[in-house]
Amino acid sequence: MRRLNDVVVDSVTKRFEDTVAVDNLSISVAQGELFGLLGPNGAGKSTLTKMISGMLNPTSGTIKVGKYSIQDDPMKVKELLGVVPQDIVLYDYLNARENLAFYGRLYGLSGKKLKNRINELLQFTQLDEKAVKRHVSTYSGGMKRRVNIAAALLHEPQVLLLDEPTAGLDPQNKHALWDIIEDLKKQRKTIVLTTHMMDEAEELCDRVAIMDHGKIIALGSPSQLVKKVKMENTITVVPDKISPSLIEQIKGITGVKNTYIAPDENEKIEAIKVITDCPDDILPDIVSTIVNTGTKVLSVQLSRVTLEDVFITLTGRSLRE
Amino acid sequence: MSLKRSINQIAAVAKTDFLGVLRNKTAIFFTLLFPLFFIVIIGFTFGQSGEADMSRISIGVVNLDGEMIALNATDSSNSTIGDIFVEALESANFTVTGYGEYGYRDTNGTAAYAISRGDIDAVLVIPANFTETITFLYTDDLGASVPTVSHLELIVDPTDSTGAMITQQSVFGFISAFIKEYHEIVIEQFPSYLQDYIEVVADPLIVTTSEAEVTEAELKWIDYMVPGTLGLVLIWSGLNHASMTIATERTKGTFQRMVIAPVYPTVVLLGKLLSALAIVYMSAFIMLLSGVLLFQVNLYWDIPVIILGIFLGALSAIGIGLIISSLAKNEEAANSISVIISVPLQFFIGAFFPLSIMPAAAEAFGNALPFTKLVTAMQDVMTRNLPFDAVIPEILYLAASGVILFLIGTIAYRITLRRL
Repeated sequence: MRRLNDVVVDSVTKRFEDTVAVDNLSISVAQGELFGLLGPNGAGKSTLTKMISGMLNPTSGTIKVGKYSIQDDPMKVKELLGVVPQDIVLYDYLNARENLAFYGRLYGLSGKKLKNRINELLQFTQLDEKAVKRHVSTYSGGMKRRVNIAAALLHEPQVLLLDEPTAGLDPQNKHALWDIIEDLKKQRKTIVLTTHMMDEAEELCDRVAIMDHGKIIALGSPSQLVKKVKMENTITVVPDKISPSLIEQIKGITGVKNTYIAPDENEKIEAIKVITDCPDDILPDIVSTIVNTGTKVLSVQLSRVTLEDVFITLTGRSLRE
Repeated sequence: MSLKRSINQIAAVAKTDFLGVLRNKTAIFFTLLFPLFFIVIIGFTFGQSGEADMSRISIGVVNLDGEMIALNATDSSNSTIGDIFVEALESANFTVTGYGEYGYRDTNGTAAYAISRGDIDAVLVIPANFTETITFLYTDDLGASVPTVSHLELIVDPTDSTGAMITQQSVFGFISAFIKEYHEIVIEQFPSYLQDYIEVVADPLIVTTSEAEVTEAELKWIDYMVPGTLGLVLIWSGLNHASMTIATERTKGTFQRMVIAPVYPTVVLLGKLLSALAIVYMSAFIMLLSGVLLFQVNLYWDIPVIILGIFLGALSAIGIGLIISSLAKNEEAANSISVIISVPLQFFIGAFFPLSIMPAAAEAFGNALPFTKLVTAMQDVMTRNLPFDAVIPEILYLAASGVILFLIGTIAYRITLRRL
């Protein structure tokens, strides 16, 4: 059964004087889908999310969230949306609970319902009771990010716009936030995630739109996008000795497209290069095959094709340029 | 969207904005305590000097010189020197208004009434024997001139101590020049052998200065200054706070987050207005309470008029603040513009100096400011104990300027929404 679309952007253009920030762009995000907008700074991702959230009006085109148009029913759309801005948008002089109470009241919550919802979200975002009593100015970056997300979830929105939610976080905090986003996905929230981090898009998104200069240059699931690139995943294994029979055995493993001997990076020893579409699946088989012949494995390296490679292939530039 | 929900949203915006001041020591100082700090410093350190353009000194003259008086057992009524004296005052560029009598401050048309309402700066009472005294018409039984003293009385407005002193100095200077001139002319009329004698003994005029009874109670300098500080409250608590609020929230992004919530822009604006009003009233309360507790001020407390005046004045202040806050590029720019406007502005509202000592253009500018009208109205109500109808012109001016400036501020705020 075809899923309903929660966000429909139809032929939207946004001009700022002579600059076209978003150029005749159309996307649809299905209910419960986690949709990624990937692109370098200035690609038009933030402009697009600002238009979806009603902060900016499109120059042309239409945007619908749920069954409402942002141009015609902005208040209805705002009720459906939860927006997590890129920057930490909290009041430094309030504690987490007070910040959440403020945003909750803006969304029409009050009294016991508001209090209960705040408690739920503090638990969901794993903010401990002691910490939430301190002013936000004393929080770590990760804690602030979590409160920033909680503030967008108070009214239990159907659609979430997450604008670079993990920007500036260390790996530990980044993964903690990914867990929260995964949980939201499990709750069947429709999520539009803008990011310029390929690992984030690959890890979290069902589909990704790669944007550049206000246009979508590629759209699909991360695996579909990777397949579009004429590059291959390579496993490089350095054993203590290489024999033709070993190469043949490896070629016989399911999932291996090709195998050849090549110098290792330092060119002093030889390495076995294995070309495959499913490096994660066959890596254990390759290692065990080598070890079973009585050969020692000195090192293993996996070169995976990423969305970064996709972007470079399509634009000739890296995501961070 | 329901009214209850909108009220809840307004309250949330107002509370958060208000806490932003209460939980920020710098904001507390500049928003709530700076006016108090300023008035204490200025009060203790500022000298009371200055030169005035005479045309801005408005003197009410009660010329009794034409009245019949007993002179050498016969009546004389041909007094003219008093009139010449008044003409000379006008020639010296004083603004002169004639009154039939000094009278009482509750009797319309009298000099006392005019000074008690601040219409004139001082009253000069020319005594009935002015001509006779100055022209040595009093003689003894032998027909020799008898030097006689008559008293010119200068009554100044005690609610404006600096202005009163300047007026007094100016009038004294004029009188001494006038007396010297006429004295020489009169002495020349005497035979030469008497001229030295007359010059030594003749000192026919004494000027005494008193304060007009414009209030029922005896008031100190600080009593007059405290109502004036309400103008400072508007500038520092209203204008300054309002000029920062939107700009700060825009810089931090919290304003944008409010805009993407299902909240009408008017709701945010009303929340901000409510918070700014609360801060203004709190600051005014602190100021007046400090006056009572620290300086034991002796004022009249017409609370409804005080509340109304502050409210209308605050609308102007918040309106100007909104214009600054909405159009400034960021928080720093808003702060700079606000300081550039606030610091000089406080000297033009008549809280520290009478506007009459300023150049004409500066005086006109000061008089056009709504804050000046509040200062005038509050001084009239709180020190002169005038009724509400006496300050209606100021209240109407405050209302008109408040509505206009707040509307312009609202337009600027709307422009901000389009620039996010």
